Amino acid sequence: MESAERAVAVLIEFELIERARSGDDNAFNQVLQAYRKRILGTIARLIGKPEDVEDVGQEVFLRLYYSLDQLRTPEVFEPWLYRLTVNAAYDYLRRQRRRHESRMSDLSEQQVMMADASAGGKQSKEDARRTRIREQVQSLLDKVSTEDRVLLMLKEVEGLSLKELEKIYKVNENALKVRLFRARQRVLKAYESEA
Amino acid sequence: MDRMDDKLDSLWAEYRQACPDPEPSANFTPRVWQRIEARRRATSSLRHWVEACVMAALTLTLLIATFLIPRYQRQPVYQSTYADVLAEADSPDYTLVLTGGDIR
Repeated sequence: MESAERAVAVLIEFELIERARSGDDNAFNQVLQAYRKRILGTIARLIGKPEDVEDVGQEVFLRLYYSLDQLRTPEVFEPWLYRLTVNAAYDYLRRQRRRHESRMSDLSEQQVMMADASAGGKQSKEDARRTRIREQVQSLLDKVSTEDRVLLMLKEVEGLSLKELEKIYKVNENALKVRLFRARQRVLKAYESEA
Repeated sequence: MDRMDDKLDSLWAEYRQACPDPEPSANFTPRVWQRIEARRRATSSLRHWVEACVMAALTLTLLIATFLIPRYQRQPVYQSTYADVLAEADSPDYTLVLTGGDIR
């Protein structure tokens, strides 16, 4: 799977992480440059709101900067960064869910933009198809908990292996398999009811 | 159920393709550094405030130790020692009172 290979590829030298960990701002900037696109991609798929992706991404790198000294070894840097990303996405999604509960009728800026664009006939056929898929998946994921949503995204869309998920969630493989199975069942149920 | 499983798998794959990694805007990295600096400034001003409080507390403690404690210590509770009190109690005048003045 292409995305799984993408997830395990280490983008930088451990020595650079070590330097960033010891307070070298220049090294941290290089880490930031190397990982920002990948992290923004993961956040975009996790939260499904393009207008907020950069804000959450900045929060991830801010947290990384102030917690890098707690990193035990550079070898675990990527799971560490993924954990920060997942936590920032969780925080965002919980905030959104609360906001959504208080204003049930609101449309996301993305949806409004999409509606405007399609009304004006500006979207190409391919764009329209992509938009439809994004909306379908987001509406499906809105029907399950934030925990299920993030776990499934990391496994099914980001293509992380069970070993990588173990490092992120700090639970053993069997517990993860059970969680994944249950999350998938819940999404399947929602998918069936939608179909 | 298997058919739905397959459909769900293909939906994940399509979603992955429909959401490629976005290009960060030109402002992304500068904004990260701005936020880092803002946090650093906030932490630094908090540290200054805490340091000022600690200094004030230390100064107050020193003032109390230098001026107030010695003032209270200069006012002794007893004017004489225990031996002085005993000696005074054992004086001839005192014995005279006890025996009603009849000393032989």
